[in-house]
Amino acid sequence: MADIAIWGVIAALGTATFATRLSFLALLGEGELPVWLRHVLHYVPPAILAAIVAPQLLAGAPGLAATLDGPRTAAALAGLAVALVTRSTFATIAVGMAVLWGLTLL
Amino acid sequence: MPSSDRQQAFRAGILACLPLSPGVMLFGMVCGAAAAAAGLTPGQSFALSWLVFAGSSQIVATQLFAAGAPGWVIVLTGWVVNLRFMMYSATLAQHFRGTTRLERWLAGYLLTDQAFAVTLARVLDGRKDIPWFFLGIAATLWVFWQVASLAGIFLGARVPASWSIDFVVALTFIGVLAPLLRNRAMAAAAAAGGLTSVYLVLPLKLNLMAAALIGAAVGIAMETGMKQGKRKR
Repeated sequence: MADIAIWGVIAALGTATFATRLSFLALLGEGELPVWLRHVLHYVPPAILAAIVAPQLLAGAPGLAATLDGPRTAAALAGLAVALVTRSTFATIAVGMAVLWGLTLL
Repeated sequence: MPSSDRQQAFRAGILACLPLSPGVMLFGMVCGAAAAAAGLTPGQSFALSWLVFAGSSQIVATQLFAAGAPGWVIVLTGWVVNLRFMMYSATLAQHFRGTTRLERWLAGYLLTDQAFAVTLARVLDGRKDIPWFFLGIAATLWVFWQVASLAGIFLGARVPASWSIDFVVALTFIGVLAPLLRNRAMAAAAAAGGLTSVYLVLPLKLNLMAAALIGAAVGIAMETGMKQGKRKR
């Protein structure tokens, strides 16, 4: 992508994000979120977070050819277990990386 | 609110931020390093960090830049990741009555998951000094984030590839995702999103957009089903 186009994308994403954050603060809570939108906003984060993570835990191209990547899949499951119990991002990263390094060095 | 109360609330916010700082700094460094590794210039990488100022969205944009996705797909997908801020904004606004426009615009710019979560805990404690407490924690997180981003942008390239430091990104997302999996509907939304992004191959890297929409639809359907199930019993 051309340099100027990259700047345009960054500026557009920044502006859209700021507008989203400011939305109800600017209105001082005068507006109310419609129920259906509240539902969508509630379920988008888990869906998209999982969508970002899932391909990184597999080997091969996305699609039917994707297979489990031993060390990465194991490290991710260990990280998930730690995250569910401790709710600490730092502990999740520490344990997950330790498992990944341990398995790849073996 | 008298200015001494404001200062006190602001300082309490700064203190409340400190336990979060190691995780935030690590995530910020990874985001900076990822942007630089994707081929963005240091200036562009840093602009992403202070203009967008949202780690998950920055990572998504970075990955899509690296994959050669069209600009509109990058903006749309990166923005969908940030839609949740509208919900935070609506909740926070109820506690920002009586503040100046500058305070509200600052709060809007600085709004993040962590600042919102900690401030919400203070709301539930019944405290009234919410605006300046929020600004204290959010501004401190902003400073940590920018410093970490710069460190990542300039030092990231020196980390050997054999350390698989890119995996920190996946683990960070798992760390953010896990607390959201509070019930079956949320877990179903996550499972549907993950499966969609792996098995549905779409042109223009639209997989993530599709995964977000399908995941949300599955979550809503599951919630509706669970409610009806309860009613029948």
